[in-house]
Amino acid sequence: MVNDRPILLRATSLSRLISPTARVADISVTLREGDVLGLLGLNGAGKSTTLKMLAGLLVPDGGDVEIDGHSLMEHPLAARAQLGYLPDTPPLYPDMRVAAYLKLAAQLRRVPRKLVKPAVDYALEVCDLTAVAKHRIAALSKGFRQRVGLAQAIIHRPKVILLDEPSSGLDPHQMQSMRTLIKTLGQDAAVIFSTHLLPEAVAVCNHIAVMHNGRIVASELPSDTPVTAETEISEHITQPLLRDDLDTLFTNLVQFGTPKAPVRTLTSKIEQPTPADNINP
Amino acid sequence: MIGVIAKHESTSLLRLPITWMIAAVLACAFAFLFLQQLEVYLTRQAELALLDHPPGLTAWLTTRFIAPASIVTLILGPLFAMRSFSDEFRLETLALWQSSPVSTTALVIGKFLGVTLVLCAALSVTLLMFAGVAWVGKLDWWQVASAMLGLYLLAAACAATGLFFSSLTRHAMVAVLASLATLALVWLIGTASFNAIPIPGLQATSLANHIGGFHQGYLATNDVLYFVLYIALFLVLTIVRLDALRHVNR
Repeated sequence: MVNDRPILLRATSLSRLISPTARVADISVTLREGDVLGLLGLNGAGKSTTLKMLAGLLVPDGGDVEIDGHSLMEHPLAARAQLGYLPDTPPLYPDMRVAAYLKLAAQLRRVPRKLVKPAVDYALEVCDLTAVAKHRIAALSKGFRQRVGLAQAIIHRPKVILLDEPSSGLDPHQMQSMRTLIKTLGQDAAVIFSTHLLPEAVAVCNHIAVMHNGRIVASELPSDTPVTAETEISEHITQPLLRDDLDTLFTNLVQFGTPKAPVRTLTSKIEQPTPADNINP
Repeated sequence: MIGVIAKHESTSLLRLPITWMIAAVLACAFAFLFLQQLEVYLTRQAELALLDHPPGLTAWLTTRFIAPASIVTLILGPLFAMRSFSDEFRLETLALWQSSPVSTTALVIGKFLGVTLVLCAALSVTLLMFAGVAWVGKLDWWQVASAMLGLYLLAAACAATGLFFSSLTRHAMVAVLASLATLALVWLIGTASFNAIPIPGLQATSLANHIGGFHQGYLATNDVLYFVLYIALFLVLTIVRLDALRHVNR
């Protein structure tokens, strides 16, 4: 019955040169309503660049993105109307009050005039911001700011929500709240959120993709992947990797595990380094 | 949507203390120039009466007060626009606009209108000065309206220039300096010292050559068109610049 759910996001062969020695290449993702995809990867893996391309902030060198059937290249305004995006740094105006900022966000997302106030109230309630609605954003803690950033992304109830490391800098309690919130949002929308922590992805997502050096190297992981599941991930590696890359990847992604042993079982998927491999693709 | 953006821009400007400080400096400078020219006119009335066609009070004030006021506007105007996009870069808030269903054209026009509105409101203190004179004397309001239209168009040109340069850098002061340099150049190419440069049509591109008519109450289509084209040029450049950002890794 999974396939009965409508496709909300389809990215096809996205690629983009980041620097002369690094590129994001061949990113293809299809998400349906109710899908929550965790985009795992180390710093510099290309997660943020991928999300920026999906959000329309960066034009890909190749490939296309469709949001709820609208091409981001050909009909950007229609596509972006169904999109909520929280960048790694929340786009906040420190001198504005929370409610005023959310009102602006609702207006920018073309929420009908009569529905702006209900939309602001919805976002305040969902993100647990009602108590600070009249506060200036500059006076808020990092956790509250992150939630205000999330509130602006969901205020128009978008069909696709992109969250770039939404729980970075949050304390454990706030992190738990954020995870619960993302799960709730994922019931009616397609959500992609990036993280470099496997436990976080496992706790929230029903799909996980691992990015490394600008490519998705593992995807379609089972939703019940355990926290220390290096082997589970390893079995889904689809791209050849250098031994050092794989080792580093798992050591950093899995906080609470023993990454060395499973890596040794992956000899068939480990390439021998060549001089060209010393440069990132 | 343009209205929402313009309102956001103008209220953002009004929340900044520096906006009020610049507006205060503008008002003080205008008041000084206005009273100075009023005093000169009153003390030289007898002398002026001997001329074949003595200037009236309105003509005296619009040519002798609005002209230097235009220079003050040229200097202080870019300060209103310096943060428009620089702050968006600095605060990393451009993502809010770029991920929303808002076209770059609407964003630029909205911001331009917001800045221009605040700048023109600050310049409108001039109208109070004219109203004060009209209370005790008689003014040709059409000529005042013409001079004010010139001042407002100049303000809009300053806003467009400042907006463009603020889209190039995250440093507001760099945007101001670049705007001032550009406006000064476009103003000065109409002055006598540039007459020696043998470039056809150079004089026609000068701001200074197109503002004089407004001060004299002489509304010429080509002067209005010049300002419209000048403003449109910088707005288009801003739109091109912002669209190009989607191709740049940040």
